[in-house]
Amino acid sequence: MSASIEIPCDITPHPVTGMYNGKFGVWLFLASEVMLFGALFSSYILLRVGAPEAGPLAWPDYRTNHLNVPLATVNTMVLILSSVTVVFAWYYLQLHKFAAARACLLATIGLALVFMVIKYFEYSHKFHDGLYPSTHNFYAVYFTLTGLHGLHVLGGIIVFAYLVGPGAAMWKYNPAKFTNRIECAGLYWHFVDLVWIFLFPSIYLL
Amino acid sequence: MSTHAAAQAHAGHDQHGSGHDHHAHSSWWRTYVFSTDHKTIGIQYTITALCFLAFGFGLMLIMRWQLAYPSDPIPLIGGLLGKSLVESGVLTGQGYNALGAMHGTIMVFMAIVPLAVGGFGNYVVPLMVGAQDMAFPRLNMASYWVFLPGGLIMLASFFMPGGPAASGWTSYPPLSNIATMGQTAWLIGMIFLITSSLLGSVNFIVTIVQLRAPGLSMFRLPFFVWAQFVTAFLLLLAFPPLEAAGVLQLMDRVAGTSFFMPQGLVVSQKLHEAVGGGSPLLWQHLFWFLAHPEVYVLILPALGIVSEVIAANTRKPLWGYKSLVYAALFLGFMSFIVWAHHMFMTGMGTTLSTFFQITTMIISIPSVIVLTALIISYHGASIRYSVPMLFATAFLPMFAIGGLTGLPLGLTASDIHLHDTYYVIGHFHYVVAPGTIFAMFAGIYHWFPKVTGRMMNRTLGLIHFWFSFIFINGVFMPMFFMGMAGALRRQYDPEAQLHAETVQGLSRMVSYSAWCLAAVQIPFVINFFRSIWSGQPASQNPWQATTLEWAAPSPPPHGNFAQVPTVHCGPYEYSVPGERRDFCPQFEAREA
Amino acid sequence: MNGAPYGRWLPWNASEHGGQIDSLIDVIHWFMLILFVGWGIFFVYCLVRFRQKPGRNAAYELPKGAASKYAEVGVAIFEGFLLFGLSVPLWSRYKTAPPPPEKRMDVTAIGEQFAWNFHYPGKDGKYGRLDPTLISSSNLLGLDKDGDPAAEDDIVSPELHVPLNQDVYVRIRSKDVIHSFAIPAMRVKQDAVPGMEVPVWFKPTRSSDEFREAMAREYSLDQPTPLFNKKKAGLILMEDYPASGEPVAHKGDALVNATVEKLLAAGIKTVRAAPRATMEVVCAQLCGMNHYSMKAPLFVDTPEQFEAWKTAQSAEIEIDLE
Repeated sequence: MSASIEIPCDITPHPVTGMYNGKFGVWLFLASEVMLFGALFSSYILLRVGAPEAGPLAWPDYRTNHLNVPLATVNTMVLILSSVTVVFAWYYLQLHKFAAARACLLATIGLALVFMVIKYFEYSHKFHDGLYPSTHNFYAVYFTLTGLHGLHVLGGIIVFAYLVGPGAAMWKYNPAKFTNRIECAGLYWHFVDLVWIFLFPSIYLL
Repeated sequence: MSTHAAAQAHAGHDQHGSGHDHHAHSSWWRTYVFSTDHKTIGIQYTITALCFLAFGFGLMLIMRWQLAYPSDPIPLIGGLLGKSLVESGVLTGQGYNALGAMHGTIMVFMAIVPLAVGGFGNYVVPLMVGAQDMAFPRLNMASYWVFLPGGLIMLASFFMPGGPAASGWTSYPPLSNIATMGQTAWLIGMIFLITSSLLGSVNFIVTIVQLRAPGLSMFRLPFFVWAQFVTAFLLLLAFPPLEAAGVLQLMDRVAGTSFFMPQGLVVSQKLHEAVGGGSPLLWQHLFWFLAHPEVYVLILPALGIVSEVIAANTRKPLWGYKSLVYAALFLGFMSFIVWAHHMFMTGMGTTLSTFFQITTMIISIPSVIVLTALIISYHGASIRYSVPMLFATAFLPMFAIGGLTGLPLGLTASDIHLHDTYYVIGHFHYVVAPGTIFAMFAGIYHWFPKVTGRMMNRTLGLIHFWFSFIFINGVFMPMFFMGMAGALRRQYDPEAQLHAETVQGLSRMVSYSAWCLAAVQIPFVINFFRSIWSGQPASQNPWQATTLEWAAPSPPPHGNFAQVPTVHCGPYEYSVPGERRDFCPQFEAREA
Repeated sequence: MNGAPYGRWLPWNASEHGGQIDSLIDVIHWFMLILFVGWGIFFVYCLVRFRQKPGRNAAYELPKGAASKYAEVGVAIFEGFLLFGLSVPLWSRYKTAPPPPEKRMDVTAIGEQFAWNFHYPGKDGKYGRLDPTLISSSNLLGLDKDGDPAAEDDIVSPELHVPLNQDVYVRIRSKDVIHSFAIPAMRVKQDAVPGMEVPVWFKPTRSSDEFREAMAREYSLDQPTPLFNKKKAGLILMEDYPASGEPVAHKGDALVNATVEKLLAAGIKTVRAAPRATMEVVCAQLCGMNHYSMKAPLFVDTPEQFEAWKTAQSAEIEIDLE
């Protein structure tokens, strides 16, 4: 006789950790993401500190780096706004207002797409000006870090698209778990937002 | 091996029909290939890792030919190897480096870690914590199906123009930046393998923290689970910097950036096109930040397995269980701040090198504690010399040799002479080959009855053990003498240098031992497959052990336990005075 | 020291600081041996004494003993001694106090795939400018002979010659990938990282002649001659042959086929010979497919030999300049 598989704390929080499995898992995942971006930021600092004062290898600062600060500022706003809409989605789900939550998620996806489009314009403008990753290590850092961040945004878009699309079916038979999923996706999304908030000043404004 | 488990899993499924994981239809694909059952995934990992282990060992056997008989054509298979490795039957310098790099990569990332964590961890941890499955069964499946392509990409690189990566398993730039295409495949493969470990480690931590059976407090967990717990944290936090480094090196190779390229590099008397401004040492820092914790990823699960086997076969509680746990936690923590002892020869100043020498000496203390506790556990025991116990017992002195020989390497002054010599090879192989791999064998013999419901043959096991024990020492012991004499590692021609010529006899002895070691694995392979089908049937608890995996039927059905067990005591209640039997399982309440 | 310079344990030490490294290695290995044997005796005793026997049960609890604590604390203390008593002082003495410029011999070792080149500053004691854009197969280091007067007398050599009993100060550099400058006989090892220049220093205390004398042995000339061409070390004669009368081959002559033929013609069947290069600078960091072949001969010369070598090198430069 075999019982059906019952995984504890799948939906309800664990009495000691206060988290259900998914949330705990996402926090652990984010810890590893912190190490990933931490390593990249450290590399950036090391290369910048090690760069010569003058000459072709000197590190450009915000006056000379040819980055488009207004566009990036807009992007920062867009991303912060998308974080807010995720929170609202989760909030509406807890109030069992699925339609409103769905609208908020669609807004999040829309904003993320706006971010990517702006990014596309930024990148193509750099290429047009002949600034490639191989031009200087500053651009290497710029393209690698913002590119990796862009991949994270893309990952977020896919996750949210799944959750408003086929994944939304879960709302019907397991609303609590669906709400948890939105919370987990939201945690990830806030992290992606946070990475950008570190990237923006350290690359564009320094 | 999976027939029994799968059949029962199958039966279990049909009964509950629309259970929690209603996605898992009992199709053949779902049961054997894309299974979410931690036991099936564990078996998949084990089989795959054992194949990679054999493959990686095979690469070394080819290299050992060149080291025993420099520039003689390789017998039998010399003609079969591709142009990137051999020329008219003789291994080339490039081919030798490629085999060396792939041997290291395969053994570390595709054999030992998947075997220790993916295999043993996946199969045993949920059972030991009394859970029906891992916390995220589908994530678990994904972790295997990300691992496999990573491994296959690595293998595919053997067929690329220029052959596979040949810059050592450490892939130091600028050499790796200017290497052939195989290096790109290596980097992409690594990114897959890292992602896989990441998914696995999240799963392990959540499972161990959240899914423990009632009554199973953290300090009632078997040491094996603790070892896996610390290992999971190491994988979770140490691997991402390597992933970052991999991304940067990939950019250097593909997009022409200069993260690791300094200015004014002249390759083959031509100025390199990279603009420069990068730092080759940056890679080493990022790499070793992973790779030192990685050492403990390789050894902690092994210590865990050995502890379980020793406790069950000495018939007494492990000595100093709590200090073992604290030692493991401390090891895990310290392993993050010793990495630069791999870089003493890069031109490090006194302050920095003193710091890393101190941390290196400190990290040796918990290792000494663990070893001492395990050895004292034999005192006053009633030792049952089963085959797994023999492997576990042999593990201890050989691991001690591996640990002790780390001392002269951890001190900068003595490291000057020994750095990058065969002494280093001997040292870390004693830790991971006679160490971890012996522990893996102990684990296979120990849990085989649980997994298959059948015992492995003892006579074949004894043959396997004794000859492996002799030959594995024959492989690695001479390396210390070679290293002392100054013979350097990664040398295609073992006689090219004055100080190495005099130890060529030893080198040849290593080769003979390695080939013999390969030959004596045949009894194991025969035993393994024969026992799956015709081994003596095993009871639920053939070793009369106390931990929770023995509460489940052998093999455990889908969902593991007929009833989720309740835990009544610590993990190693053996020979409790006044008890009827010499063991009190965690899952049985005592009368008194 | 007896026997051959190279064997199955530490090679002969030819430097001043090397002796301390060797004794550290010795101390550590005695410590390891004592620990291992101590553990081993206890372990083997347990394995035999406590094997399963009918009628005897294992002890649930061990009598409380502090022996393991003492052992662990002892190990920790001894490790502390190794670290702070031996290793750190040795390393800092060796790494932080370079010999003063006026007392040392300066040279730069530059690694490339797969060779070492040595750049001596020449008579003026000043290194000439190296320009990577000038590098070609005839100017391996890119020495700016036309643009920099300091470069004119610089010596660039594929062999490292150092004077006996004088401090040698070597700047280590690399042109392409990471190499490692290693001299086993001197207990010297330092990575050559491109883009960095790291110095090492050592004081040779044993000459190449001393090594060569110890490595000399009788070679039979009756063997097929290609043997001598194959021999990687490159043998030279240790004395004149024949010993009396007009020699057909002199001490120091390379034992190549032509010499062997002359000797055989003179009726000489065996000779005493030794490798010309008795010490080597090797590369200890994987640097590509021919990594194993990356080595340079090291000669520890007496002052006279060293001067003679420098003069010969300078003469070559003069010819080049003309």
